Amino acid sequence: MPPPLLRVERLTKTFAGLAALQDVSFELERGGIYGLIGPNGAGKTTLLAILAGALRPTAGRVVFEERDLTGMPAFAAVRHGIVRTHQVPRPFRTLSVLDNVEVGIRFGRGKAAAEEAGPAAGSAAMRILERVGLTHHARAVAGTLSVGDQKRLELARAIAARPSLLLCDEVCSGLTAPETESVLRLLREIRQAGTTILYVEHDLKAIMAVCDRVIVMDHGQKLAEGTPAEVQRDPAVVEAYIGGEVGKGDPAGTAGAAGAGGAAGTGEA
Amino acid sequence: MGRLEGEEAPLGMTAAPAAAATAEDGGGGRSRSSRAAAAAARISPWLLGAALAALPLIGPGPNLIRLLFVTLVWVTASVAWNLLGGFGGQVSFGFAVFYGLGAYAAAVALNAGLDPVSSCLLAAGVATVASLAIGLPTFRLKGPYFAIATIGVSEAVRVVMTNVSATGGASGYRVMERGAFHQLQHFYSALGLAAGAVAISVLVRRSRLGLALVAVREDEDAAADLGVNPLRAKLLAHAIAAALTGAAGGLHARYAAYVNPQGEFAFAISVAILLMPIIGGVGTIWGPVIGACIYGLVHDEIIAAFPQLHLLIYGSLLIVIVLFEPAGIVGLLRRLVRAGDRRGRQGGRGGQEGQDGRGRAHAAAAP
Amino acid sequence: MSGADFLNLVIAALLLAGVYAAMAVGMTVIYGVMKIVNLAHAGFLMLGAYFVYELYERGGVDPLLGVVLAFPVFFLLGVGLHRTLIRRLPVSDQPTLASLLLLFGLWLVLQNLGYLIWGNADRAILTPRTLSVLRLGPITIPTVRLVVFAGAAAALAALELVLHRTWFGRAVRALMQNRDAGRLVGVDVEGTARVAFGVGIAFAGAAGGMLAMLYSFSPDFGSPFLLRAFVIIVLGGLESFAGVAAGALVLALLETFSIQVLPASYQPAIAFSLLVVALAVLPGGLAGLWAGLRAKRRRWA
Repeated sequence: MPPPLLRVERLTKTFAGLAALQDVSFELERGGIYGLIGPNGAGKTTLLAILAGALRPTAGRVVFEERDLTGMPAFAAVRHGIVRTHQVPRPFRTLSVLDNVEVGIRFGRGKAAAEEAGPAAGSAAMRILERVGLTHHARAVAGTLSVGDQKRLELARAIAARPSLLLCDEVCSGLTAPETESVLRLLREIRQAGTTILYVEHDLKAIMAVCDRVIVMDHGQKLAEGTPAEVQRDPAVVEAYIGGEVGKGDPAGTAGAAGAGGAAGTGEA
Repeated sequence: MGRLEGEEAPLGMTAAPAAAATAEDGGGGRSRSSRAAAAAARISPWLLGAALAALPLIGPGPNLIRLLFVTLVWVTASVAWNLLGGFGGQVSFGFAVFYGLGAYAAAVALNAGLDPVSSCLLAAGVATVASLAIGLPTFRLKGPYFAIATIGVSEAVRVVMTNVSATGGASGYRVMERGAFHQLQHFYSALGLAAGAVAISVLVRRSRLGLALVAVREDEDAAADLGVNPLRAKLLAHAIAAALTGAAGGLHARYAAYVNPQGEFAFAISVAILLMPIIGGVGTIWGPVIGACIYGLVHDEIIAAFPQLHLLIYGSLLIVIVLFEPAGIVGLLRRLVRAGDRRGRQGGRGGQEGQDGRGRAHAAAAP
Repeated sequence: MSGADFLNLVIAALLLAGVYAAMAVGMTVIYGVMKIVNLAHAGFLMLGAYFVYELYERGGVDPLLGVVLAFPVFFLLGVGLHRTLIRRLPVSDQPTLASLLLLFGLWLVLQNLGYLIWGNADRAILTPRTLSVLRLGPITIPTVRLVVFAGAAAALAALELVLHRTWFGRAVRALMQNRDAGRLVGVDVEGTARVAFGVGIAFAGAAGGMLAMLYSFSPDFGSPFLLRAFVIIVLGGLESFAGVAAGALVLALLETFSIQVLPASYQPAIAFSLLVVALAVLPGGLAGLWAGLRAKRRRWA
C-alpha cells in the first residue's frame, strides 16, 4: 500500500483561548477528491489555512508525502505542492487575468516552470484560462471581474501553480446550477490529471456528487469520515446539521435541506 | 509596453473602470492620437538621452550643467525608490539613510585615496548591506508601520552620525581629491548612473522579481499562497534600490566635496525621494524620471520665486495627487490619451464605462 | 543616586507620561476608528502650541485656560478637515497608503503655514508659574509640570467617560473592533468617523498647548513629538487606550532616566530605537502582550 499523500495528526489551533481546531486527524490518499463539510464555525477554513501554511498550528503535525511540513510558511508549502484557493476571492486587482495566472505559473511547484518566461509562459497561462473558461477575459483587469469569474480566476491561479494537493474553499458558493456543474467537471479533470483535491463546500449536493470520501467537522473536531453515502446516514452528522432526531427523514432529503441552509451561510473562522 | 497589461492603480485607489476601458481597447480601434502617443512614448527616452549626452557640445554654462547633474542624481534615487515603493508597494520614508551612507562611504573612500569608480561601488555596497540590516526587521511590518519604522531608522542614523567625531560629527567632512575638478566628468557619471538606473528598472519590471513585487504589492498573503516569497522579493528590491541610491549619494558627495549629517540624512531628502515618483507616477517606469526632472529643475525656481512656500506647494501637490490622480503625471497623460481615443472612436458619444470626467472609479470593486 | 533623586526622577517621568499620553491619545482615536495614521498630528501639535501662545501673549489668557479652549476650537477644525478632505479617502480595514500620503501632505502644508505666520524663531510661554517649584520634603516638582499633568489627566479621564458612557463612545468602540459589524447594527460610520477625527485633532491641539507650557517651540515643533506619539501608540498596541497610558509611561521613564547616562544629543535616537524595537519585537504592542498573557493564564486555569 503506498503511503498516504497527506497525514494530519492531532491538529489543534487556538485563537486567544478559543479552540478553532481540536485534535483533528485524518489521512488523504493520492488521487482522490475529498470533501470537507461541517456547519458554520466548524473550523474548515482554519484547517485549510494551516495545511496551506498560512497559519501555524498550536499543536499537531502535518505530514505531506512523508515530509513534516508543520509550520512551514505558505510559499514553501506551494513549493512542496500544496496550493489553496480563498473562500473570498483575492485576485491581484490591478493586474490582468493573464498576469494573475502567470504568478501561479512562475512561482508554483517545480523548477522547470520557474524558467518559463515571455511568450512561452503566456501560452501556458492561456491554456489554463481555457480550462476554466476565462479566455475571453484574458486581458481584463482582474478587479473588474464578476464574483463568479473571480472565483474561476482563483481556481485558475491555483491550478497554474501545479499542486499535487489542491485545497478548494467553497469554489461553488454563489454559483448557479450550470456554473456549479462546470466547476465540478473541472475538479474531476484536475483529479484525472493526477492532483488530489480537498474540497470544502457548503453545497452538500455538490460534495456528494463529486467526492470519493467525505470528512465531517463540527466545533473544531472531526465528527465522521467515510463515503458520501455513509456520512449522510451517520446520526452524529445529521444531528450536527439539523439538530434533529436520529433516523428521521431520508438521507437525500436531509442533505438537500442542509444544503439549502448551508449554502446561504457565509464562511466561518 | 511590457508584459504587465493591467493599469497601475497605486495608493490603494482602484481606477478599475478606467483600466477596463484600456484593457478592452486591446490593439485594434486605437485612434490616431493614441498610436501617435505610443510611438512618441517609445522614442522620447532615446531622444532625451541622446540630447543630454550631446548637450555639453553646445556649450551651456556651468550652472546649467550643475542643475542637470543634481537632477540626474535625483532621477537615480527616484527610480531606485520606485523599485521598492512603486513596484513593491512598500513605501519607505527613510531613503535618506542610503543616500547619506553612500555619501559618507564615498567621501571616506576618496579621502583614503580610492579612485572615483571604486568609491562609488563602495558607496553602493555599504548602502546594500545597510538595506539588509534595515529590511530584515522592518519588512515584517505592513504599510504605514513600515513607513514609520523607516523614519525611525533614518533619523536614528542621522543622530548617530551627528555624534560620530571620526567623520566630523555635526560640522561635516570634507572630501580632498587630488587632481582638477572636471565638471563634465561628473555630469557624464550622473547621466550614466541615471541611465543605468532606468535600465535596471525596466529589467526588474519584466523579470520574475518584478512580477513577485507587484503581486506582493497587491496582496502579500495571496502572493505567498501562490509560492511567492514576499520577504525575499522585498529584500532584493530594497537592496537594488539602496545600491542605486547609495551610488547617487556617493556621486553627489564627490561633486560637492563635502558631506554633513544634516545635509545627507535630512528627513527632507527622504521626503524628496518619495515625492518625485509620486508626482511623476508611482509604479511606472518613467513616472519617477518625470517627477525627478520636475522636482530637480523646478525646486530651485520655486525656492527662488516663493522662498517661503515650497512646503506648502509640495504638500498641496501631494494632497491633490492622492485625491484626484493617484497615478501622477503619467496617469494624467494616460487619461488624456484615452480621452482623445474615445473622442476619435466614438465621435462624441459617451463611453459605456460610466465614469465622470475625472475618471474616478464609481462603486469601485470592493472585496 | 540617592533615594530622593530616584524618587524625583520617577515623579518627573510620571508627570511627563501624563502629557505624553494626552499627546498620543489623539492619534489612537483616529487610528482606531478610521484606520488612518495621522501624520499631520505633528502639525496640529504645533498649531495648538501657537494657539495657546497667542491667546496668552495677546489676550493675557492663562495658558491652562488656553488649553481648555483649544479643545472645542480644534475639534471644529478637525471636523471641517474631515468634511473637506479626509472623507474622500478610500475606506479600508487596513491603513492605506493614500491616507498616509494625504496626511503627510497636510503636515507639510501646516508646517509651511506655521513658518509663514510665525517665522522660525523659537517661542516660549513664560508665566510666573513657569519658574516656581513645589517642595514636598525631599521631592521637588516644577509647578508648571504638575499643572500640565493635572490638565492632561483631566482630559484623559473625560475621554474615558465619553468612551464608556455616551453613544459616541460606544460607537467608537464598536467601530474599533469591527467596522462592518458596526455598520450592520446601525452605527453611523461616517458621522462617527467625523466626530472621532474631530476628537483626535482636538486632543492634538490641546496637547500641543500643554507641551508649549513645558518646552520652547517653533513651526517644526511637532516632529520629535510625532515620533514619540508613534512609539507610544505602537508600544501600547495601536488601538488600546490603556496601552497608550502604558506606552507613555515606558517612554517617559526611559527618557527621564537615560538623560542621566547619555549625552543630550543622543536623546532623539532613544525614541527612534524604541520604536523600531517595539515594531519588530512586539507587533501587538504591550496591549497584545497583555492579551496574550491573559489568554495563557486562562488556559492554565
